[in-house]
Amino acid sequence: MSSLKGTFDQLERDVLAAMAKPKKSFWLALAVSSLMFAVGMGCWGWQIYKGLGVAGITNPVGWGVYITDFVFWVGIAHSGTLISAVLFLFRAKFRNSFNRTAEAMTIFAVMTAGLFPLIHLGRCWLFYWLFPYPNQRLLWVNFRSPLVWDVFAVSTYFTVSLIFWYVGMVPDLAIVRRYTTGVKQWIFRIFSLGWRGTRYQWEHYGKLYMFLAALATPLVISVHSVVSWDFAMSVVPGWHTTIFAPYFVAGAIFSGTAMVITLVVPMRRIFNLETYITVSHFESLAKILLFTSMIVTYSYIVEYVLAFYSGHEFEIAHFLYRSFGDYKYLYWLMLLCNSLLPLTIFVKKLRRNLTYLFILSLFVNVGMWLERFVIIVSSLAKDYDPYAWGTYTPTLIEAGITLGSFGMFFTFFLLFTKYLPVLSITEIKEISE
Amino acid sequence: MQRREFLKLMGIVSGGAVLSSCGEDPHKKLISHVVPREGEVPGMAALYPSTCTECGAGCGIWVRVRERNPFKLEGMPGHPINDGALCIRGQASLSRLLHPDRITAPRRRTNTGDYQDVSWEQAMADVEQALSESGGRQVYLAGRTTGSLAALIDEFCRTRSFDRAPEVERFNHEAIRFAGDALFGRKSVPQYHLAEADVLVSLGADLLETFVSPVNFARQFAAALEKEQRWYHLEPHFSLTGNRASRRLVIRPDSEPYLLAWLLRAVPARRDLPAAVAAAVPAVTAEAAARQTGLPVTVIEELRDALRASSNPLLLAGGVALAGNNGRLTAVLAALLQWSLDMVGRTVDYERHENYETVGGAADFAGLVDALSDKQIGVLLISRLYHLDHVPSLRDALCGARFRVGLTDFMYPPYDGCDVILPLSHSLESWDDVEPRHGVISLIKPVFRPLHDTLSEGDILLQMMNNGLNYRTYLARRWGTIGRELLDQGWVIRDTEETTPTLQAGAPPPVITIQEPPADKTLVVVPSLRTFDGRSRVLTLLHEIPDPIATITYGNWVTLSVADADTLGITDGQELDIRTSGAGLRLPVKTHPQLAAGRVMVHTDQLDGLALPRDASSGEPLGILPIDSWQATGTRIDVPILSGSFTGAVGRGILPHDKPHHGPAHGGDDHATEHPPATLYPPKEYSRYRWALAIDLDRCIGCSACVAACYIENNVAIVGPDEHRIGREMAWLRIEPHLSRDGRMFFIPVMCQHCENAPCEAVCPVYATYHGSEGLNQQVYNRCVGTRYCANNCPYKVRRFNWFDHEWPSPLNLMLNPDVSVRPKGVMEKCTFCIQRIRQGKDHAKDQGRQVKDGEFTTACAQSCPTGAITFGNLLDRSSRIYALAQSPRAYRLLEGIGTEPAVYYLSKKRENA
Repeated sequence: MSSLKGTFDQLERDVLAAMAKPKKSFWLALAVSSLMFAVGMGCWGWQIYKGLGVAGITNPVGWGVYITDFVFWVGIAHSGTLISAVLFLFRAKFRNSFNRTAEAMTIFAVMTAGLFPLIHLGRCWLFYWLFPYPNQRLLWVNFRSPLVWDVFAVSTYFTVSLIFWYVGMVPDLAIVRRYTTGVKQWIFRIFSLGWRGTRYQWEHYGKLYMFLAALATPLVISVHSVVSWDFAMSVVPGWHTTIFAPYFVAGAIFSGTAMVITLVVPMRRIFNLETYITVSHFESLAKILLFTSMIVTYSYIVEYVLAFYSGHEFEIAHFLYRSFGDYKYLYWLMLLCNSLLPLTIFVKKLRRNLTYLFILSLFVNVGMWLERFVIIVSSLAKDYDPYAWGTYTPTLIEAGITLGSFGMFFTFFLLFTKYLPVLSITEIKEISE
Repeated sequence: MQRREFLKLMGIVSGGAVLSSCGEDPHKKLISHVVPREGEVPGMAALYPSTCTECGAGCGIWVRVRERNPFKLEGMPGHPINDGALCIRGQASLSRLLHPDRITAPRRRTNTGDYQDVSWEQAMADVEQALSESGGRQVYLAGRTTGSLAALIDEFCRTRSFDRAPEVERFNHEAIRFAGDALFGRKSVPQYHLAEADVLVSLGADLLETFVSPVNFARQFAAALEKEQRWYHLEPHFSLTGNRASRRLVIRPDSEPYLLAWLLRAVPARRDLPAAVAAAVPAVTAEAAARQTGLPVTVIEELRDALRASSNPLLLAGGVALAGNNGRLTAVLAALLQWSLDMVGRTVDYERHENYETVGGAADFAGLVDALSDKQIGVLLISRLYHLDHVPSLRDALCGARFRVGLTDFMYPPYDGCDVILPLSHSLESWDDVEPRHGVISLIKPVFRPLHDTLSEGDILLQMMNNGLNYRTYLARRWGTIGRELLDQGWVIRDTEETTPTLQAGAPPPVITIQEPPADKTLVVVPSLRTFDGRSRVLTLLHEIPDPIATITYGNWVTLSVADADTLGITDGQELDIRTSGAGLRLPVKTHPQLAAGRVMVHTDQLDGLALPRDASSGEPLGILPIDSWQATGTRIDVPILSGSFTGAVGRGILPHDKPHHGPAHGGDDHATEHPPATLYPPKEYSRYRWALAIDLDRCIGCSACVAACYIENNVAIVGPDEHRIGREMAWLRIEPHLSRDGRMFFIPVMCQHCENAPCEAVCPVYATYHGSEGLNQQVYNRCVGTRYCANNCPYKVRRFNWFDHEWPSPLNLMLNPDVSVRPKGVMEKCTFCIQRIRQGKDHAKDQGRQVKDGEFTTACAQSCPTGAITFGNLLDRSSRIYALAQSPRAYRLLEGIGTEPAVYYLSKKRENA
């Protein structure tokens, strides 16, 4: 018992050590990411002032990097809920090492993603017109538009994820409360909602957490299905296909898992959490990565087969264009990143090599960003009317805003690591019992 | 601070704020006059008759004026030249009036070579002083002038002892006038009655683009469609005219005399040729003619048979057919054929000829050039010159005059270095008349008080004649009895004293040896549909609208055949270095599938002052130049090419009879038999109106007049070359050239199709675009947040996003149509079927308690169309033209397979070979 107590104390100290006074490297990282964030905001400000023309989007490619970024970040947001809620329901214990980070990632990624629909609006100051709010002029939103579904899907996902994250954190906040003093303690006291860890509280807590997990699970499917319908509901060849929802969900889990690996590998090293996040845990993540990679690859194949089997001229022309047209290099690079490279982790040695996994996860992140770019841009570039065909080249403003989105994400993530426990202390305690 | 001090300070501050806010006059005159002019209703456009002066064709126009601002020009229905239509240049010429770069006041050149604005008194005093002091001859050099102004200039030259130089006109049709002079003693361009001919053979003349009176020819073309006219067009290059002929024959450049000489002998003469003339015509066998022209023998025999069988033929040569070394000979042989086949007096009309008598050929300026070089000229007065690149000797000699006075509206190159510049009023600011065609007088009437400190040429001359008249009274006196009719109607046809000429008995057989045409690669210089000879280049709108053949907007280029591009290993936008004897040019290329191998096409206005080699006999610049060498320079120039592909439309359901295979199985084009597309929504029902448009591809010539009309009517923004390069043109209506499966070029006007099941409507999250109760797909600018999903989801890609706030540099803002809002940045826009006109039409009908009648009003595009290709109307009205056209077996709609059910019906071509 005393040894267990000792281990728990050690665990608490280890996790809370990450919240200690930051080192120089932290300040550097924070400076870089907040600078990126500032650059992005500056670019956005310029875009609002001048007009959307400072971006490269044009006729016929009305959506470009911004929507790519949106889908990318929504995709990143996926794994949080998957790892937390779905794996919780499936009693996959390895999730406990990642769930807090993954959930935080979800929250910040959804926040970042949520900005992009605003950024890409021609008149972003009127964004609230997309909400069905009662107004004097009796104007209502168009419920047939997938963009309205998006508003609901993303905001619901954000709300539920936030609650789930917060509820999961309450016992830990109470632990932090114990270790802090002064104003900090006062704040943690408020947010730990009078948690005392009584059996009665635990009983209710467990039920609530499970219900929330059950509530969040369908959202994993729904949010990205809805995002995919932004495309699938259109008449654009290359977008208009029924497989988009499962295809995008798999892609989202794929990219989200990759992002978890990207974040947790360095975090584990920096905060010395090797004891709690083990190589076996990463191996489990790598298996998810491999599985979803194969689903994604299967979807790629299905898209082509459908196009050619249907005999639909426009679909065939589009898929030929996608693989051999203006954006062919991006397409083949995407295939390399998403379909070929992940196959290497069939090799056990490689999937237990954290450096290798880290590098692979970067490739997958790039590949998944490219996937959205290729789908969005190449479909719009050449659709029905050959006169209207055109290409799209992003501008520095779009690059700046994309950079800013990473800046925003990492800024929030870094602040998270300093202000909140990065591991779920209580849940790790549970599995070590 | 004390309470009192505080109150004082507050008093000063608030008082100051109130006073300063009174400083600027916040009044904007929404209605410019309290008591409107007679017959003018505030908010309603008044129509004033006038005449377009952008080129010399003299088309009658109605100027739409609202609250004293002219905001649109429209062709005048019933006018003898253009009968209601107006070309692209005519539409755009309103922006000449309001151009920010116009000269606003008289200018005097200072010692440093700069110009300084001076008063009219000062400028006139300077001119008078120069006249009294400079010594030497005084010369009046002007562009082509007809009507009263021509008479006044004569009077002026007499009273002020000026010599009147021949008039300058780039396209002076020298060869035609030479032939007329040599054979009939008439040095003029005859009027051609295209519509009356049952067989039309045209050589080179770009009848539907720039040739003499293109709108008139386009209207005649449309009239001829109603009957069984067979039209052969022979050209070395590719033109809109050739594309619309029943049969376009590609001929080797400058080889026309072989064909004509053969035809002269092969087609039995209906009027005898004098033996001397007949003998002088070279004997050419069918085989030789075929070999030289590059046409198969069967084809030239078909031509012969068509002419032989014809009861009222018309054969004419012009444009590029006369631009080679054999130009004069071709014109002479064509005129001989016109005589021998009895066209003169029937389809070739010398009685009411086009007024080109006073225009000079290049050779006619030799005397003036000598005088200028010898410093014999004291005062040189130049007026309405745009450039003198076709007579470079004159261009270079201009500075030989001791004192130069320039009358102009813009600082065109000939005015560089003029001592005094006298700014001319635009024709919409002045009284005048023109007589473009013998006996056809058309009124020019001011609708606008001169915007700047300018005068009309007539007023300037009368001031210098110092006889106390102003031009308006001068005109009234000159018009006399026809004045009333002219003012009421806008035009008058005067009796003519001219007669039909006969072949001059002693007509000496003129130059009759055929020179060897260029054998290999040839540069073909052709006039530009958009800028004529380059004079309209100042009008930005014309750069914004693509050349319909190359689909390029801004910049210069050469058009190259696809085969040659392959040989050269060159693609669109890459620079080609072309060397011809005496001229070289480097321009980016645009390939064109219809251009024959070995031909390079360039527009006259894109040569940028390049001196062309000259015809030995006439001195005119040649338009057919053998290319010595060509090579790709390796440089890529980013030219804005608007078309994504000329050839990609095949099998996509855009061209007639060209549906994709995957569409529902059914026969023919009869859309009525199709299964209605499956839908969850109830069918839309309309109670009174369902607006629709029909576009007859049989009539569309691709002239782009509708595009210009649409731009001006709807305040469509001009965005400039940088935006065009990345595909952000704002045109609501565009002319798409597409090559069909059988190798024909179609020009398809595409605008918002106002679909029954519009894909854009479903995806807009805020209902900014929705289906109106009369079938219109309506766009609410105020409601639009700019997601651009609608544009992505539009299969026709006709929606236009405002990437920036657009500017209309003053005074161009006066041209904005007050009925159409100017769209801010971040908002989607598109064709509205001219909803402002629909509203006005409906209001008018409602006032009279009835439904809108068919044809009561129409859209801007339909109004401007010279061939009547566009019909607008109400589909629910079973007696309407649009209903009949929509039910026509020729009707089809774009991309029918998607199930959008557009309200724009396209009619496929009638003629099998057309």
